[in-house]
Amino acid sequence: MENFKKFIRKLLLPIFILSVSFGISLTIQTVFHTDTLIPTIFVLAVFLIALTVDGYVIPIAASLVSVLAVTFAFTFPYFTFRVSVPESIFSAVIMLIITILTSTLTTKVKRQNKMKAEAEREKMRADLLRAISHDLRTPLTTIYGACSALIDNDDQLTKEQRMQLLKGIKEDSEWLVRMVENLLSITKVGDENVKITKIPTVVEELLDTVLVKFGKRYPNVRVSVEMTEELLIVPMDPMLMEQVLMNLLENAVQHAKGMTELLIRVSQKGSLAVFEVSDNGCGMSKEQMQHLFQGYSARKGVGADSKKSNMGIGLSVCAAIVKAHGGTISGENRQNGGTVFRFVLDTEEKEQNE
Amino acid sequence: MNNKYKILIVEDESNIRSFVKTILETNGYQVLDSRTGTQAKMMFSSHCPDLIILDLGLPDFDGTEFIKEVRKSHSVPIIVLSARTQEEDKVQALDLGANDYVTKPFGTAELLARVRAALRNSRHGIDGEKEGNKPFVLRDLKIDYESRTVTMKHMSVKLTQTEFNIVALLSEHAGKVMTYSVIIQTIWGSSDTGSIKKLQVNMANIRKKLGIKPGSNQYISNELGVGYRMYNE
Repeated sequence: MENFKKFIRKLLLPIFILSVSFGISLTIQTVFHTDTLIPTIFVLAVFLIALTVDGYVIPIAASLVSVLAVTFAFTFPYFTFRVSVPESIFSAVIMLIITILTSTLTTKVKRQNKMKAEAEREKMRADLLRAISHDLRTPLTTIYGACSALIDNDDQLTKEQRMQLLKGIKEDSEWLVRMVENLLSITKVGDENVKITKIPTVVEELLDTVLVKFGKRYPNVRVSVEMTEELLIVPMDPMLMEQVLMNLLENAVQHAKGMTELLIRVSQKGSLAVFEVSDNGCGMSKEQMQHLFQGYSARKGVGADSKKSNMGIGLSVCAAIVKAHGGTISGENRQNGGTVFRFVLDTEEKEQNE
Repeated sequence: MNNKYKILIVEDESNIRSFVKTILETNGYQVLDSRTGTQAKMMFSSHCPDLIILDLGLPDFDGTEFIKEVRKSHSVPIIVLSARTQEEDKVQALDLGANDYVTKPFGTAELLARVRAALRNSRHGIDGEKEGNKPFVLRDLKIDYESRTVTMKHMSVKLTQTEFNIVALLSEHAGKVMTYSVIIQTIWGSSDTGSIKKLQVNMANIRKKLGIKPGSNQYISNELGVGYRMYNE
């Protein structure tokens, strides 16, 4: 039943367009007593129908209807299917060919554009997978190598050497865990058709969770928090937003050389919640700023240092998550030195109607 | 006579089982391990462990059913191991009576802290019945159930009725994760669409009054999307 209803609805617009064309043509005929313009009006009508409706069937049916209408109503003798002049048959056939070609062409172009968009998405996903598999190899090399060394040379290693190897394994494993967390976030938001589920989250609680988690990984880095005294509740997926804040904080630790202050500031502007992560480190280069959130796809000629490449992926994950929440994200250098990343979320629940 | 705590692990991945067993044994616990749900049920009934560590991702075995069965007759603390993609299972397990959860991958410190907290929580529960309403003390926080007062650093804290009830509830189950629905049911009796917000507002006020700043991680921990927990050490 649903499909039938949908089909009827699909027919409404073409019928409307054809009726309007018929009406305009009738008016022209009665007022101006000329029928040379009329076929062109119907060709235009069929063109519009092909643009707005999907598929080949309806536009072609519209072409046939148009030709019939023109032959019937607008070719002498009027309102009969008889034709008095052989040229009329000719022009009817030509009009039929034109209308059918127009409709098939426009439908084809639409389909091609759709496929192009799909292909682009596929390319992005392939790029991401390639970048990630490349980046995963470095820590895995360390882990595998260090473990082999420990097992094969157990008798010859000193305690310090053993500890060193084990610490390296632990560090790289932690790096892998972060990478996997980013990957999981991407699977949640990467697909255009997947909608994230937002739940009302207390911002103070979110910051608390992030600070505790961050503090466990980087116990020597102090993070200060500035936030509004009033209770701020924002609809969001808390795990994904945790990921965004963690990525931004880690970014600062890894890349903001000479940083002594790391600050998270949250403020409310109207119905928007503004989050800022700022540092007073070395700031970003012009090159970095250009490809800030494009990460993996824009990365060319970056060395095999996987720590650097994590920044690209981390930021593009942040961008994807914020975008999936309907928010905006930006990054810039601060006037007095350092960098600030800012993202904005809506505090009001909006109907997700896409 | 063996005075060590007995911990039952239910985990099918042998590598995880072996490293968890190693950690626990080197920290003075006795470990019983089971690979499947059926084994777990048998070991539970024949050995009466003091704590169960249950992996929610076991194939062919519904961990939540196991928790339901255990909770019919036992209050033994249960810690679930969950993956980041198993949010609903985790919350369901907690609602059914699991005490706490550990997200994979996890390190030794985290696991041991949870084990300690869960064992302490169950001890407090048993002792509580014998010693009546002794005040709850955690570092600078003191909750007196008889006089219904709360002090922080020896200064009294003014809490509303509801706020006190929430704090008391969390402290009575200190070390255990209390899900939103359990807290809401206990404090307000029923839940509707505005209940979670009511709870969030109350918790924010409690944090402010107790002087708990984000990141301090000292008295009450919030598990986003799940619930709240008061520490017991």
